[in-house]
Amino acid sequence: MSDRPDPLKVLAVCGLGMGTSLILRMTTETVLARLGVPATVENTDLSAARSTQADVIVGQGMHVDELTGAAPVVVTVDDFIDEGALEARLRPALEEAGWL
Amino acid sequence: MDLVQDVLTGIANNIFNQVPILIGIIALVGLLLQRKPVETVVGGTLRAVVGVVILTLGVDVFVGGLVAFQAIVSSAVGLEPPSAASTLNDFLAGTGSAVPMIIAVGFVIHLLLVGVFPAARYVYLTGHLMFWMSIVIGASLAEVFTDISRTTLIIAGAVIIACYWTLQPLWTAPLMRRVTGHDQFGLGHTTSSVALLAGYGSRALRLGDAEKHDSEKLKLPRQLSFFKDINVSTALIIAVIMLVAIAFADSAVVQEQMADSELLPWAWGLTQALRFAAGIAILLFGVRMFLAEIVPAFKGISDKVLPGTRPALDIPVVFPKAPTAVMIGFLSSTVVFLLLMGIFAAAGWFVLVPPMIMLFFGGGSGGVFGNAVAGWRGAVFGGLVNGVLLAFGQWIGWGLYGDTAPEIATLADPDWYAVGWLVLGAAQLLAPLGAAAAWVVAGAVLVLTVAVLLLLGRRARRVDTDRPTSDEPDAAGRPTSGAAGTSGAPTTTTGGRDV
Repeated sequence: MSDRPDPLKVLAVCGLGMGTSLILRMTTETVLARLGVPATVENTDLSAARSTQADVIVGQGMHVDELTGAAPVVVTVDDFIDEGALEARLRPALEEAGWL
Repeated sequence: MDLVQDVLTGIANNIFNQVPILIGIIALVGLLLQRKPVETVVGGTLRAVVGVVILTLGVDVFVGGLVAFQAIVSSAVGLEPPSAASTLNDFLAGTGSAVPMIIAVGFVIHLLLVGVFPAARYVYLTGHLMFWMSIVIGASLAEVFTDISRTTLIIAGAVIIACYWTLQPLWTAPLMRRVTGHDQFGLGHTTSSVALLAGYGSRALRLGDAEKHDSEKLKLPRQLSFFKDINVSTALIIAVIMLVAIAFADSAVVQEQMADSELLPWAWGLTQALRFAAGIAILLFGVRMFLAEIVPAFKGISDKVLPGTRPALDIPVVFPKAPTAVMIGFLSSTVVFLLLMGIFAAAGWFVLVPPMIMLFFGGGSGGVFGNAVAGWRGAVFGGLVNGVLLAFGQWIGWGLYGDTAPEIATLADPDWYAVGWLVLGAAQLLAPLGAAAAWVVAGAVLVLTVAVLLLLGRRARRVDTDRPTSDEPDAAGRPTSGAAGTSGAPTTTTGGRDV
């Protein structure tokens, strides 16, 4: 809890970094607010994600598979607007990192 | 009096005719409506403005690479390079400066349509395609009505784009339900024509069985995965074609394109291909920057004034359902497009430019929807359809937009061609009416849309009385996230409107 970066830097990733990642950014912001985690969420494309420092990366499996190791916490999503599903994956991932 | 007039004209010409400023104003209004703190409002507005400027710089770099590519490849196959009287940036600096207003007014009309007609359930939220489709419709009107007034262009364009945003998620809704298994969001993407042809085409052709031939049972070689990064695939494909073409091109043409470059021709060709890819990366970055400020406002407004409506989202929302089908569709559309590129060149028709973004997303769309109906053969077919539409679309489209923004023909999804050409055709047909024609076109589109919505609404009511247990569109809305549980879980919102 104490060593959690403040604010947490989160990247929402998709192929072009414009459509689904922007929607996912809004979903992620809602979920993190609900979890009480101060965070800045940005959306970006696959290429830029490799070169951007981040604490957490969220995106679909197809892209996230290639980003393993690019951030301490990498979370795969299947649905970009389902807040419940994202929370169910984000919460344990953050707990495991000792950030929740 | 004249002074006041001059000042107002000055402000209009210097401020309200500038796309970056207009996008900035839209972002500003959006941020204020969301009651954001002052630092976010100022920062967001400026980010949006800078984003548009970056976009135009990206277009410049991209067009430089594009012109070189077209000239060299044309020379290599013995054709005249495609020519045009205008560029996208020229268009945006002139008549096309109405585009931001078309988006803003169009979104208001779209919300009105969705609010008034219960059958129109989806709010279109795919920002970059809202931008590009508004350019396509603006350019289509401006090509035919060369002296169209700014107000007419804004209102006619806004009505047409609003009708497209309203209807497109509806015509893909049955296929979306088949792919996602629920109805919590619709598809808002300009590959909808590929989705329809892939889905219904694979069924009509009886290509296979969705269960038995499911693409997700196949395994593709992992090495292909780097192609998903469009920066990589664009740079690679364009560079390879460019290097081959340089070897066959007329050296005089190469020298002319190289101007005073000191590089060896092949090294120069490689640089140009990389500029092409870099230009696309820059323009995408710019678009991303201003969308990040505007789309949340659009979403916030629609959530507030129309609670219970569902969002229509970008095509990758269906990609997690069948990632292998996405790759199959992408590869099949790329192969088909490159084959057609060779055929077009051999026949002396046109020099095609491979649009890797559209081959990926359109091919992916065809792949997912083809697979949902007919398995992997459907996915191959969907990709093929996309490749064919993009090749013929680019060939025909380049000439049609020669006086406005021909580049939109080289970087277009199939719906851009379909909708753009319908507008062009209708406008040509009615052009003898003179100044009123643009209004007649927009009016006709609106009447048709309202008729469709009324018809769908009546059918939905009839089915609902037959099946009283099916969901109420207003009450159901999007189930709260808690109720939705993990994604992909079966839901009961199949509704009464299956086709």
